[in-house]
Amino acid sequence: MTTTFITPEMLADLSAGAAFLATGGGGDPHLTYLSACEGLKQFGPAKMIGPQDLSDDALVVAIGAVGAPTTSLELLPSVDESITALQAYKDLTGRTVDAVVSFEIGGGNSLIPIVAAAANDIPVIDGDGMGRALPEATMMTYAIAGIHPTPAVALDYAGNTELVEADTAEAYERLVREFSMKRGGMALTAEFQMTGAEMKACIVPETVSLSIQLGKILRSREGSAEQLAARIAQVFDASIYGEFKKLYSGIVADMSTTVIGGYDVGRAVISPLQADGPSLAIDIKNEYLTAHLGEQLLASVPDLICILDYETAQPINAERLRYGQRVSVFAIGCPDHYRTPEALKVVAPRCFGFDFDYTPLEHLP
Amino acid sequence: MRIGIDVGGTHTDAVVLDGDQVVVAHKALTTADVATGIRNALAFLSDNGADMAAIDAVMIGTTQFTNAVIERRELSPVAAIRLGLPSGRGMVPKLGWPDDISTALGDRDYMIHGGYLYDGQKLSDVDDEEIDRVISDLKSRSVRTAAITSAFSPLNAEPEKYVAQRLRAAIPDMVVTLSHRIGRVGLLERENAALLNTALLAFADRVVRAFEDALLDFGIRCPVFISQNDGTLMAADFVREFPALTFSSGPTNSLRGAARLTGLEEAIVVDIGGTTSDIGVLKGGFPRESNMVVEVGGVRTNFRMPDIQAIGLGGGSLVSDNGKMIGPQSVGHRLVTEALIFGGETLTATDIVVAAGLADVGDASAVSDLPDDLIANGLATIRQILEDGIRSMKPNSDPLPVILVGGGAILAPQELSHASQIHTPEHSGVANAIGAAIAMIGGEAERFVNYTDTPRDAALANVTKAAESLAVAAGADHTSIRTTEIEETPIPYMDKGATRLRVKVVGEVAQLKGNGPET
Repeated sequence: MTTTFITPEMLADLSAGAAFLATGGGGDPHLTYLSACEGLKQFGPAKMIGPQDLSDDALVVAIGAVGAPTTSLELLPSVDESITALQAYKDLTGRTVDAVVSFEIGGGNSLIPIVAAAANDIPVIDGDGMGRALPEATMMTYAIAGIHPTPAVALDYAGNTELVEADTAEAYERLVREFSMKRGGMALTAEFQMTGAEMKACIVPETVSLSIQLGKILRSREGSAEQLAARIAQVFDASIYGEFKKLYSGIVADMSTTVIGGYDVGRAVISPLQADGPSLAIDIKNEYLTAHLGEQLLASVPDLICILDYETAQPINAERLRYGQRVSVFAIGCPDHYRTPEALKVVAPRCFGFDFDYTPLEHLP
Repeated sequence: MRIGIDVGGTHTDAVVLDGDQVVVAHKALTTADVATGIRNALAFLSDNGADMAAIDAVMIGTTQFTNAVIERRELSPVAAIRLGLPSGRGMVPKLGWPDDISTALGDRDYMIHGGYLYDGQKLSDVDDEEIDRVISDLKSRSVRTAAITSAFSPLNAEPEKYVAQRLRAAIPDMVVTLSHRIGRVGLLERENAALLNTALLAFADRVVRAFEDALLDFGIRCPVFISQNDGTLMAADFVREFPALTFSSGPTNSLRGAARLTGLEEAIVVDIGGTTSDIGVLKGGFPRESNMVVEVGGVRTNFRMPDIQAIGLGGGSLVSDNGKMIGPQSVGHRLVTEALIFGGETLTATDIVVAAGLADVGDASAVSDLPDDLIANGLATIRQILEDGIRSMKPNSDPLPVILVGGGAILAPQELSHASQIHTPEHSGVANAIGAAIAMIGGEAERFVNYTDTPRDAALANVTKAAESLAVAAGADHTSIRTTEIEETPIPYMDKGATRLRVKVVGEVAQLKGNGPET
């Protein structure tokens, strides 16, 4: 059994790694980071175990935030909110909870279950339901594996709770989003309860520890993005992710997004650092979804596309990307969880409005 | 006529402007007490043809308040009162601050109910009993300064105003900063800004009095203004309330001065000093602002700051690798003794341009035997560094004029790719003081709006009106007000049309209407 104790110091690495895995989305994790640090100072380190270390009949529930990251700039998270959400879940559903897990490693949602685990002296599982950031609950590997999201509990900033029941993951997604919009724009949810056995079959494993390793490299400031690439590649090589590729280094030559249907939709064009050559175009819908060199596709969702500052190797999310920045673009093959026919029904390029099918990263030039 | 004064960390620059004309300019060392440096500058101006009786206004830019925060001095203890419960439980004020500055402000932190949500609904009701408890605690601990912050106060500031009114009624000598007056959306950063501001109030009072005394000594009785970080002015009395708004006004004044010296409103400005070059962008004659969180003395704030990129190239930058490497190390202000052309033994960027015959500084014979390939490499490296920096600051791919200011401007080549023209204006060495002298009064308002409920035109008119009344309150002449910036940020994951709308307006100083240089 591998047990890790997550300390406030490790949260800084975890949130830096989570910013990398957010593939351009996920919002600024700073507030969640501050809140989680306070939580661990209060309750002590959180115990993290690997998915295989939870017994098959134990019950695990996913905890995280749903809503508009912009509103949490004013409506601050509470240090105890994940604890309250977990308690409300137990009270309203009458179920027991033996462990908690994140539903999204990309961005602040990687940190939220950790405080609940520390306070309740139960483990947080090393893994998540996305292996990256994605916009909807229906895209979680838990949903794809057929785990029912409800009964779920939504919690607002004031501690008001609502038991949510829905017949499908799509209906559930709409209900929790409505709840969050009516309650100040942000809500915490406890959802997708699974047995240990079910969790093992669908979780993207070991993404929390991978994120901590990544964050450690990124925060070392020991080189430019290209210089750190070999060390980052080693982390992915030893993981369930696929191939790690450097796609491009260049200068952002154009960047525009507009809001369509509640999402930031747009395109960034990155031109070569020196001399002439084809530009790289990145299509954005909250996250970086596709990369084209001229007409040639280089990578697409569900594989990960990450943009780092060329000099400092710090991840840049889509709302911070701007004209003239020097950047390095990397792609990482997604875990096999997203390459099944069932998964591709919800995460293939066509699900995001693109007119082409998914080709795995390793089959692209 | 106007006097512009820029009090920097090293130099105090002063200039007398008659309309657009520089009558006399002076560069002197900043003194420890600042006021002596200003008196010295005024004495020089007075002795060199400036008629002090004909001065209509004095504009001062100063780094004293930024430096006080960075050096953790002159800071008073402040109570932090936040209205946002039941949200943010456990997220105490000053979270994440460096210990030394957190300690300097004391431990009086109060979190109470109140504030609003993004959609205009109340987050929670203000609780009078909670406020009573805050008041009695402040009284018992003799705390007389407080920063008050409520959730979404840029949208609805009533809760902040209400608490301020209760505090003042109960404690007559209470001094407060209301966060909506100083920062924008982003509660923690706005609260930090309000706390730093409040901690500087007592110091601000002393600084403004010292300025006023120095001017009175020279018989100058006209209005006195201090420049803010966004390139606009505030009346000196306003600084007694909002000293933190002066943070980062130095680079802003240099950008504004460059705009005035060239008449350009859209340009890149490169201020080349001894160690670094500051690159900024002029948009409509004002500096483009940073959309990033800005740290002041290790504290995250969301002040209106110019978007400046500092690159490691200056007149004193060290040259190595046969000219292929220049900076970021520099001899700094020791340039005048250590560079080859000044009889020193260090090869600097300035030596390269003198050796190439592109500048006439110091003793050119001291560099006459530098190898040609070293000179050629050095010039190419300087050009490359500048071009990379300029490219990364440009708003888009179109070429823009480049304005060079600062003592190191001689380093720049005659041509730069990405530059449509290159300007090196006269008096560029005192661009900061000129920028202070020509500043205008501004106002800014920000709201969350929904274009589905409120048509864009109506929303824009509302926010513009709010900005205009702020500008008038700060001393602007209302007939001269124009909008300089409209920023619309769509909010992801929200309803269609949900947008953060920010409008900025500027106007001329009301007292100067008719005799000021701007028409």
